[in-house]
Amino acid sequence: MGFRFLTLIRPFMAVIPEVAAPDRKVAFNQKVLWTVITLLVFLVLSQVPLYGIMSSDSSDPLYWMRVILASNRGTLMEFGITPIITSGMIMQLLAGANFISVDYSLREDRALFSGAQKLFAMLITFGSATVAVMTGQYGDPKSLGAGICLLLIIQLFVAGVIVILLDEMLQKGYGLGSGINLFIATNICEDIVWKSLSPLTVNNGRGPEFEGAIIAFFHLLFVRSNKVYALWEALTRSNLPNLTNLVATVLVFAVVIYLQGFRVEIPIKSARFRGHRAAFPVKLFYTSNMPIMLQSALASNVFMISQLLYRRFPDNLLIKLFGVWEPYQGSSQFFPTSGLAYYMTPPRSFVNTLKDPIHFVLYVAYMLTACAVLSRTWLDVSGSGPRDVARELREQQTVIAGYRDTSMYKELKRIIPTAAVVGGVIIGILSISADLLGAIGSGTGILLAVTIIYNYFETFAKEQAELGGVGVAGM
Amino acid sequence: MAESSAVKGPLPKGEGPRHLRARRGGSSAGNRGAASGRQVSRATGSTQTMMRLYSDDAPGLKVDPVVVLVLSLVFIASVFLLHIYGKLTSTKN
Repeated sequence: MGFRFLTLIRPFMAVIPEVAAPDRKVAFNQKVLWTVITLLVFLVLSQVPLYGIMSSDSSDPLYWMRVILASNRGTLMEFGITPIITSGMIMQLLAGANFISVDYSLREDRALFSGAQKLFAMLITFGSATVAVMTGQYGDPKSLGAGICLLLIIQLFVAGVIVILLDEMLQKGYGLGSGINLFIATNICEDIVWKSLSPLTVNNGRGPEFEGAIIAFFHLLFVRSNKVYALWEALTRSNLPNLTNLVATVLVFAVVIYLQGFRVEIPIKSARFRGHRAAFPVKLFYTSNMPIMLQSALASNVFMISQLLYRRFPDNLLIKLFGVWEPYQGSSQFFPTSGLAYYMTPPRSFVNTLKDPIHFVLYVAYMLTACAVLSRTWLDVSGSGPRDVARELREQQTVIAGYRDTSMYKELKRIIPTAAVVGGVIIGILSISADLLGAIGSGTGILLAVTIIYNYFETFAKEQAELGGVGVAGM
Repeated sequence: MAESSAVKGPLPKGEGPRHLRARRGGSSAGNRGAASGRQVSRATGSTQTMMRLYSDDAPGLKVDPVVVLVLSLVFIASVFLLHIYGKLTSTKN
């Protein structure tokens, strides 16, 4: 077999912390408890500011990633789940492309592979913490002093390791679902709740206004003398979240949940027990939220690189073609105004699409293509493609009713990639329309949140059903 | 198109899986436990977990989940202490 990358990991296995797997099945109530505790720890981590920061109001290069990374600027969750996602993606891509040979049927290989992912994630945390501190994201390292710099790196690193362990804990069966999903969904839901109920007041010269859309609606109705105008303002104010945004958010939620139910059921029957029939559901959203997640990971990396390049060489023609960045309306946050990066950002509002239809058309084309292609690719990378499903079914000694064992793959190949591509395109369309309607959080964020919450709902239902089943069997 | 042949709602899948599960559980409970341990995160097919972790025992630093919680709480507490310490020293200057 020659040289194997995984053997390099073996010496490190002794120092990689690992959550011990539960020795018996964790009860449903306890799972909920663990999940809630993990969530609380995460929420606290994402509110506690880092100790030793001087300033963090320069333009945020990670602005576009914050949503999918569940991170908060200037807090202990500065990186959120970035290291986990990056390391997981890279390792799985490498393994999928056979650069790293992993035999998943071997116990040791599996252990080494997950060890390698974790080691890599820890290295990434350490590396990015060092880079962030040294490049002066929290103030000039010289004026901070070596001690504070070291403290900052340690804080970021330990927080990163804790997130990795929390995620592992949930995945190993102490909690429900995976930590990553939980953190992303929480972050987005927090945003939505805050934007609709925030009690902060802002003064724009027309008297104080509440930031939260719902509170502002009632406040405006009571305060303004012209009720029709007040209603109009609550619905359409553009500088703060308004009611239309909230309605759009709810609408997107509803549509996604409705579409989640769409599925093709392939009838399967057991080869062992005659007469046993079941259905293998292939969902329309077969790849779930993966296409949108991969797309935004791709886009945000492009944005970050483009922004850094533009700041360093603002006059280079090639870099200008890549993206021109300017601060947006008084805020210190940079937005692309032309170049490739501009056509990869969603239009800011419905009016903007009418102003620049070319931008809109190109954006839609890019979005749909990216989602479809990434969704299709994810099948092969994640091992949920037709070939893998056929093998899984065969291992369980089931066949598709009415098909021979050998033609099963052909039938699956007809259905699964179609579902993946169509599902990807629909996810793309939903994301675009959410952005156009101005739904709270970005379209990407809402889609992620809804699909994750829906998955949780399914898990709950399954756990409950199993609980019922066990109860009956025990009697 | 996928939608045209799609069957909506939970109606058709009512009986099948439950039957299968009941039978499987009845035939060999031990076997089932072993199988579910191995499948871990691939079982759901289109799962969206990024890090593929397996629950087999690996040689390594074993940590109890309680230890993880205590560790994170201690960490948060120490950052709080740092902040308080920072406040105290800055007012003196």
